[in-house]
Amino acid sequence: MTKTPLRVAKYVFLALAALCSLFPLYFMVVSATNTSADVIGSRLTPGGALMDNISKLTTQQNVGAAMGQSTIYAVSSALLSLLVCSIAGYGFEIYHSKHKDRLMGLLLLTMMIPFAATMIPLFRMFANLNMVSTLPAVVLPTIATPFLILLFRQSARSFPTEIIEAARLDGLSELSIFFRMFLPTMRATYAAAAVITFMAAWNNFLWPKVILVDQTFRTMPMLVASLTSGYVTDYGVLMLAVLLASLPTMFLFLVLQRSFAEGITGAVK
Amino acid sequence: MNINRRSVLGLGLGAAAVATLAACNSGGKNDQAVAGDVPTSGTLTVWCWDPAFNIYSMNEAAKIYQKDHPDVKVKVVETPWDDIQTKLTTLAQSGKLDQLPDIFLCQNNAFQKNVINYGDAFSDLTKGGVKFDEFPPAVVGYSTVDGANYGVPFDNGTAVQALRIDYLEQAGLTMKDFTDISWADYIERGTQLKAKTGHALISGQSGSSDLIMMMLQSAGGSLFDADGKPTIAKNDILLKSIDVLKQLQKAGLYVEVNSWDEYIRGFISGNHASALNGVWILGSVQTAKDQSGKWEITNVPKLDGIDSATNYTANGGSSWAVSAGKQPALANDFLKSTFAGSTQLYDTILPKAGALANWMPAAKSDIYQEKQAFFNNTAIYAQVVDYSAKVPKNNTGAYYYEGRDAASVAMTKILKGADPTTALDEAQKTVEFAMK
Amino acid sequence: MTTTTAARAVPSPPTDEVGRRRGLTSARRKSLTGWTFLAPATLLIVLMSFWPMFEAFLLSFRTGRGTRMRWADPWWANYTRLFDDGIFHQTLANTFMYLIVQVPVMLVLALVLAVLLNDRTMKLRGLWRTAIFLPCAVSLVSYSMVFRTMFSTDGMVNDALLALHLTDHPVNWLGNAVTARMVIVLGLLWRWTGYNMVFYLAALQNIEPSTIEAAKIDGASDFRAFWHVTVPQLRPMILLTAIMSTNGTIQLFDESWALTAGGPANGSKTMSHYLYELSFQNNPNFGYASAVSYVILLLVAVLAAIQMKVGDKRD
Repeated sequence: MTKTPLRVAKYVFLALAALCSLFPLYFMVVSATNTSADVIGSRLTPGGALMDNISKLTTQQNVGAAMGQSTIYAVSSALLSLLVCSIAGYGFEIYHSKHKDRLMGLLLLTMMIPFAATMIPLFRMFANLNMVSTLPAVVLPTIATPFLILLFRQSARSFPTEIIEAARLDGLSELSIFFRMFLPTMRATYAAAAVITFMAAWNNFLWPKVILVDQTFRTMPMLVASLTSGYVTDYGVLMLAVLLASLPTMFLFLVLQRSFAEGITGAVK
Repeated sequence: MNINRRSVLGLGLGAAAVATLAACNSGGKNDQAVAGDVPTSGTLTVWCWDPAFNIYSMNEAAKIYQKDHPDVKVKVVETPWDDIQTKLTTLAQSGKLDQLPDIFLCQNNAFQKNVINYGDAFSDLTKGGVKFDEFPPAVVGYSTVDGANYGVPFDNGTAVQALRIDYLEQAGLTMKDFTDISWADYIERGTQLKAKTGHALISGQSGSSDLIMMMLQSAGGSLFDADGKPTIAKNDILLKSIDVLKQLQKAGLYVEVNSWDEYIRGFISGNHASALNGVWILGSVQTAKDQSGKWEITNVPKLDGIDSATNYTANGGSSWAVSAGKQPALANDFLKSTFAGSTQLYDTILPKAGALANWMPAAKSDIYQEKQAFFNNTAIYAQVVDYSAKVPKNNTGAYYYEGRDAASVAMTKILKGADPTTALDEAQKTVEFAMK
Repeated sequence: MTTTTAARAVPSPPTDEVGRRRGLTSARRKSLTGWTFLAPATLLIVLMSFWPMFEAFLLSFRTGRGTRMRWADPWWANYTRLFDDGIFHQTLANTFMYLIVQVPVMLVLALVLAVLLNDRTMKLRGLWRTAIFLPCAVSLVSYSMVFRTMFSTDGMVNDALLALHLTDHPVNWLGNAVTARMVIVLGLLWRWTGYNMVFYLAALQNIEPSTIEAAKIDGASDFRAFWHVTVPQLRPMILLTAIMSTNGTIQLFDESWALTAGGPANGSKTMSHYLYELSFQNNPNFGYASAVSYVILLLVAVLAAIQMKVGDKRD
């Protein structure tokens, strides 16, 4: 019973953290229902302008197309990324060697340089291949990220070697061990990585806007940027668009959060 | 390394294309291309931003052109200015200018920088038949490099001072008291208004140099001379401008805000009694629908003790550029017949989008005399067109943004108490370093 | 390709206990399989990152504006230029300030939250977890707007301070270099704490609960069990988040760009923000911009190497 004050303190702390986290989100949702002047005036209660904002946004901008494009980019980028990087991360750890450690170090270097510096050579490469404004050109540079490889390498460290050895004795191929043993065991890591990579791909801004020279294939972040580029910004419409642009990541998090927070590690053992 | 080496040939005609430029551009002499035969069919692709303004205007222009040229199509692609600049830079640096559209809109302040660096991207429009003398010289100046014209001016950045007449009335003042005045008069009358009503007059984003840049231009001053050399140190007009801002702040008439959102909120919430900016700010002013009839506009105050001082200046604005590698003759003909030749176009886009003409013949149209209910039934468009012809010219050059940023750093320091001469000397050194 | 090579690698002979991951008997074959697993990712990174990086490296020895480039004389001139560039010095100092103040606070906070939320006796865990993660999913546009509004001179933060009599003057948060940097640090904490918490939560799943219980049975307090049993097992993940946060902060762009526009008087501007200006706003100086980006790379690389040295030990 001495623990009660501590528990209360824990809940107070969590409640405070949640409140701070949710407030800007609340503002975003409420603002989507308010007029521009009300948003500018920081009105914190829901208003009646939602339908008006929706009709303004949809007549001005092709939201459906942008959501569709963004979904295609983000989903293909996230899926390929998870596959390619988890195999690599697994390879780095399970078949660990000095040379591989050095290679990992080298690969890490590539995330340490600002993208603005490498963007133009990268663009020229795709342009020479006649791939400007194509899906592969948007997705290819986002697939292999040293960060994700490192994440899987670090996670593989806690993967019990006994499982691998037992599987080898059972005659499983190395690749099957990866797919049938490692992948299900690491569900928590995969779920977390899926959220993170999807979010990164969804919010990616600089590269799509450069490589998609033909702006007809624009993504949601590009659409949102358009809304603030005019002389008069309609803040209600802007907040509605921003809310729509934030929904997919939130949704994915809601769906996957149980798997990475209440993992199933025990089930395998 | 595959960076294209290009040399500037002479000064005026832009750079010659060498090496891997894959464009269909015949290379070099861009000045003849626009004068060639005009094809009767084709599709013109246009990049510009702002659906309510530029995009709307461009689509209206297309309708007008298509009446005489039914086989010409215009495809407008919404592209924010930041994206146009990033794309133009990337395409030029990687030698892929063939990816540019036929026409793109370019901010006036960035126009010379881009022409000087990426001359291959632009068509020289000097010989294309557009009558550039039908535009105010200050506006044409932004897109002129070494005597050659590279842009057809569109968006009007002429500065206006919009005031709340109900506040003026409460303080026993009228619009006359704020028209054709100097900043000293302004401070005197503004103080009276503040004492009676409690409202400050204007605001500015902290660190933003918009206001001092407008003051500087109002007296024909620039951060650079005609040769592009920085003139920030010992620049009397700039010193005076910053001094005025300091006095405004001391008198509580100028309020520093944190962001653009807060700046807009300042006047639409009724907190600040005025807005002083490019005419395009009236779009935001009018979002406060409850204040209809309570606003009027006039010209801006002038600097005291400066011989060249005027009551006219500008902020922002943009011009159409024709890219070199595509269909320059058709694009040029299109702009010549619409934005530089159609009164009908401006008659349509003014009431619908509030898009004011820089093309002077359009301003003779009756529509400019129409009284606007929001602005207490005054003919604000005729007023602005009258001001725009009187705006002094200002040199931007290739280093405009470096200059502007250095000046705003100096301004921030001076407002916090630094010695003005020293701060401007430092700013001059910063820009000289950037140019090294 | 991967499939065939991997298939050839089976069946692997049993390994002796000491061998574990190192020194396996069929080491060669195993090593080959390992390399095959790395191949697709490595190939992509070489093409998409190393090649452009190499070009950028060469570019850092060239000078000129726009496309009028020539080899710098001396060839390292862009690097020595950095020593005379006041704006660069300012942005370097700002960036390090963000790094030193924000990263440790954020990681400790994220770890505490993760451990709290991993406690199965806590109620409403899904709710707390979601709430705390969501900030990083919120678009930058709305987040920066909310922060600017909250910290505006007539905003909620000032209202609260005035009401509590903590100040008698509204603070011009973004108009003052010190407070503007503070707002950026707060913004970073708000946006990325939940993000890092996710990694810790995932890593906590891989910890055998019995190890912690064993420690508690031995009489260890909650804190001691956490410090001596949980933290060591989380070390690989702590290292990862430390490297990532260091990298992210040294390359920080968003907050400087959207929250404060680098102001006032460059007082909150970051190196990446300056790099972007050099390339896309100012008269484009790509040679110099490349040199700045290589300095950023060097800084992150050195810091990451130190972190790896300290934290990356296989027990």
